[in-house]
Amino acid sequence: MTRALGWLAVLGLAAGLAAGFGYAPREAVQGNVQRIMYLHVPAVLTAYLAFVLVLVGSIGYLATRRPGWDRLAAAAGEIGVLFTGLTIVSGSIWGKPTWGTWWTWDARLTSTAVLFCVYVGYLLLRSLIEDPDARSRYAAVVGILGAVNIPIVHFSVKWWRALHQPSTILGPERSPIDPAIGLALFVNWVAFTLLFAYFLSRRMEIARLEEPT
Amino acid sequence: MPSNWGYVFAAYGIAAVTLLAYWRHLARRARAVAAHRAAKPRAA
Repeated sequence: MTRALGWLAVLGLAAGLAAGFGYAPREAVQGNVQRIMYLHVPAVLTAYLAFVLVLVGSIGYLATRRPGWDRLAAAAGEIGVLFTGLTIVSGSIWGKPTWGTWWTWDARLTSTAVLFCVYVGYLLLRSLIEDPDARSRYAAVVGILGAVNIPIVHFSVKWWRALHQPSTILGPERSPIDPAIGLALFVNWVAFTLLFAYFLSRRMEIARLEEPT
Repeated sequence: MPSNWGYVFAAYGIAAVTLLAYWRHLARRARAVAAHRAAKPRAA
């Protein structure tokens, strides 16, 4: 199952690259640098998914005390940090030629940086507590509190005046994106989701094997 | 509008290296766990 997910992810990523660099046209205003969005947008959507799973795993653990929920939260947290890091780096690289700066303390960028720091803290907390039950309980509380930041990141562009553009995919209005660009985004989002599922499956299996029997 | 391919390749290059590094990290860790579990019965 995990191996099949891995191969599906590889195929998806190859299709995503073909869609982003071959099928999708050069964007009229931004030019080629817009192609970074085929990486940036799926990365942040994958990070959202990961942190929602941290929330689900944390609630599940506190409700049932089953270690499987804790493994889900821990694995999703680690991979969520990875994808949030990619989101910040790719956004920064896109920002330099587009906004003229690598970084600005805009509401979306700042809240994303806070999101990153919260889940790095979550992973640090997990690594600092030796007692498995205490580690799972404290991490679950942080995993639940940390999820508060997800809607703040997403709606920051609505709630505050921001340099970052408003949502063009998960917004209430019909997306103004050209269909070819929208399709390339969709293919890459599916590919990233498959890659996330593969990483999650492997990471959870490793965590299961690492637990004392 | 300049082509800006350098920025595009930098972003994709960093992403590829990061994702491959994480994949390798998982593979190494899985091998280490498997080796540890295989060694355990002999030590007992």
